[in-house]
Amino acid sequence: MAFAAGYQINLQGLRQLAMGGSGTAIAWDASTIFYNPGGLSELDHIQAQASMIAVMPTTEFVQGSYTASTQSQVFTPFNVYVGGPVAYKSRVNWGIGIYTPFGTGVKWEENWAGRYMVTNIQLKTVFFQPTASFRINDYVSVGAGFIYAMGNMQLNRNLPLQNQNLLDGKADLNGDAHGIGYNLGVQVKPSYRVTLGVNYRSRVNMKVNQGNVQFTVPNALTNQFPLTSFSSELPLPSVTSIGIGYKLTDELTIQGDFNFTAWSAYENLSFDYAQNTSLLQDTREERNYQNTLSFRLGGHLEVSDKVALMIGGAWDPSPVRDGIVTPDLPDANRWLATGGITYKPAEKLTLMAAVEYVSSLKRDSRYDAAGFNGMYKTTALNPGIGLSFDF
Amino acid sequence: MKKLYILGLMACTMAACKPNLEPEPQAAGDADFSRYLAVGNSLTAGFADNSLSKNGQLHSYPAMLSEGFMAVSGGKFTQPMLPGNDGWPMPKFVLAMRKRSCDTFSSITPILYPGALDSTGSSNNVAAAGPYNNTGIPGIRSIDFVTPGYGAVNPYARRFFATPATSRPIDEVIAVNPTFFTLWVGSNDVLGYALDGGKGGRPITDGYAFAAAYDTILAKLTSRGAKGVAMNIPDITAIPHFTTIPARGLTLKARQSNDLNNYYNTKFNGSGIRFVEGANYFVIEDETAPFKFRQIQEGEMVLLSTPADSLACGTWGTLKPIPAKYVLTKDEIGVIKAAVIEFNAIINTACAQRNIPLVDMNAYISSIQKGISYNGINYSTTFVSGGTFSLDGVHPTPRGYALIANQIIDRINEFYGAKLHRVDPNKYPGVALP
Repeated sequence: MAFAAGYQINLQGLRQLAMGGSGTAIAWDASTIFYNPGGLSELDHIQAQASMIAVMPTTEFVQGSYTASTQSQVFTPFNVYVGGPVAYKSRVNWGIGIYTPFGTGVKWEENWAGRYMVTNIQLKTVFFQPTASFRINDYVSVGAGFIYAMGNMQLNRNLPLQNQNLLDGKADLNGDAHGIGYNLGVQVKPSYRVTLGVNYRSRVNMKVNQGNVQFTVPNALTNQFPLTSFSSELPLPSVTSIGIGYKLTDELTIQGDFNFTAWSAYENLSFDYAQNTSLLQDTREERNYQNTLSFRLGGHLEVSDKVALMIGGAWDPSPVRDGIVTPDLPDANRWLATGGITYKPAEKLTLMAAVEYVSSLKRDSRYDAAGFNGMYKTTALNPGIGLSFDF
Repeated sequence: MKKLYILGLMACTMAACKPNLEPEPQAAGDADFSRYLAVGNSLTAGFADNSLSKNGQLHSYPAMLSEGFMAVSGGKFTQPMLPGNDGWPMPKFVLAMRKRSCDTFSSITPILYPGALDSTGSSNNVAAAGPYNNTGIPGIRSIDFVTPGYGAVNPYARRFFATPATSRPIDEVIAVNPTFFTLWVGSNDVLGYALDGGKGGRPITDGYAFAAAYDTILAKLTSRGAKGVAMNIPDITAIPHFTTIPARGLTLKARQSNDLNNYYNTKFNGSGIRFVEGANYFVIEDETAPFKFRQIQEGEMVLLSTPADSLACGTWGTLKPIPAKYVLTKDEIGVIKAAVIEFNAIINTACAQRNIPLVDMNAYISSIQKGISYNGINYSTTFVSGGTFSLDGVHPTPRGYALIANQIIDRINEFYGAKLHRVDPNKYPGVALP
């Protein structure tokens, strides 16, 4: 399952996570390196922070009387940010972010009905983003980061080639991927109460070259499945965000974001084998994702000098079209409910905790190209903890 | 990290963390499945890979249907089980790596199961353990259902009929007193002719006789108010037994084609036989041709039963015409297709008259011929690799039978307002490769 709609992970800062994933307008902390590099200028001292989220999704599938469930897995997306002014009152701030904005993992039961499409898929990415921001004046700041992305892609599926014991053949693909991109942001503070932000995170094409592939097939077919490698490419789509923050009182702030994710970049899942035979052909499966617009809302209440509470929610529509709901990413529109707390035990130290509950809508799904129809539902509970330190 | 995990695990014990997706309940609708009866031929018995076996019976489409029927308070489902899995009376086909006499490399080839058969006791009469819900009888034609004493000549009927020497099959199979039936007969009324290349002792059934027999069967099945569903006859010429060996399947080198041309020019001047380097049409027997042989034409068929060694390594199709019993000519194919159309029209009328819904299996097999996907597998009518047909090229694989069962389930749901679930073909075996 994905942790947010598609294979995006909107868990790059705990405060933002606690506020429904919104965070384009206001620079809450160094995680603005991800949410809006322009906000980095807001930091008046260097901050280091790290957090980790435990993602525990479950997807169930029903086809007629048949039911299947994904095996329980715990994923741990994480993020580390360091940034701020290098000199007092400098107009340029610097920072670096290491975070995991895309990923997915679905592991079905070994012998499940959809095993000829997927038994296991794992996508992991880590982004490294050196970033600079520039304060143009008291109202406007801009920021930019360069992204180097590395990742790994694993896909396991059965082949409908059974041996004399009626055991399926298998295809196991595993490859490291790389890509580059950038992250741009503008932050505007027209008044004391209002903050506006615009952020553009570019598309990153993750390319796999010379990925490892292993075939297990009946003896008679071994020469049809030679030792070879595969190449593939998975686009991580661009995300354009517009956000607004409003200080209702000195203690209470609300903020909202629209995220436009250009999912149409994901047209197909293709594997190109270095060596082809009559049985081993390159594959190209249509995905044809559609662009999505998600909406996020959150509130932040300073209870005391030491404690703040956050709450939020989001509507995160699925990029997966009807007729192409595939079991490697059985996606559906989803609601998110979130909350969190920060606590400052010492002047320079903040502890953060947040939790997200995700519930996808039941989806009566068809995957026409494979004749695979059924119903999916996914839920996930994602708690996270982190800390930040101000230098 | 460990802490996180425990925290999450605790949270996930709450009901909210499980999606809790449940299957929809099944329902019988207007149908009553308490006594289900399957009537038919080898396709109904679970015949596959050239024979009948215990596994084949367990993977018959009536057995698959009975699972759903039982879920909506259907009664028990009993089949006249064979004791063994190697086939009876003839061994089943299995795939093996074999070299023909002229081959350098082995290739995947169907062979008769080479071991000792586990068929002891197969011919014992098991009528006492009946009545049976699956009464599929391999080889039976529609007209045989009304022939007294048929059980004496068919080993499959003989083993579960109460009085095989004297009874009519239709009176035997009805023993379970059905509330619901599936009826799939008629294929053998034309298949025998096709399997013999149009040259054997098995003529196509006369249309009037077919109509009379079919009506008698349907009348008997519905006489006590039973509901049911009937299947028509697939396009016989679409199955791999007839489509696997291409008419233009003779590959020659330049020297071979020259030699052959010289041979035919010298000895059979005017035969019109001509070879080129590359792909060529086989030479076949034809009574009506000037020299009683000619080259096969596009659209004509060489049967899968043609001895492979003679065809590829011997002189069949080149110096020696392929015997007519292994070939369907255009005329013969026309006769077969016409008979299937005629019989299906009869089935259609008979079912309409008695308000029995029909599953258009003819159309469905044609759709598989074009290629379909189901639960991630691509099915076609290609021999072995197509996944639909077993190693005899006539009968489906267990997965092929599951596709058929799902068509029947859909029709029952549609006509009787039932809510029966389809079966997952992937839970049944495909073709076992060496």
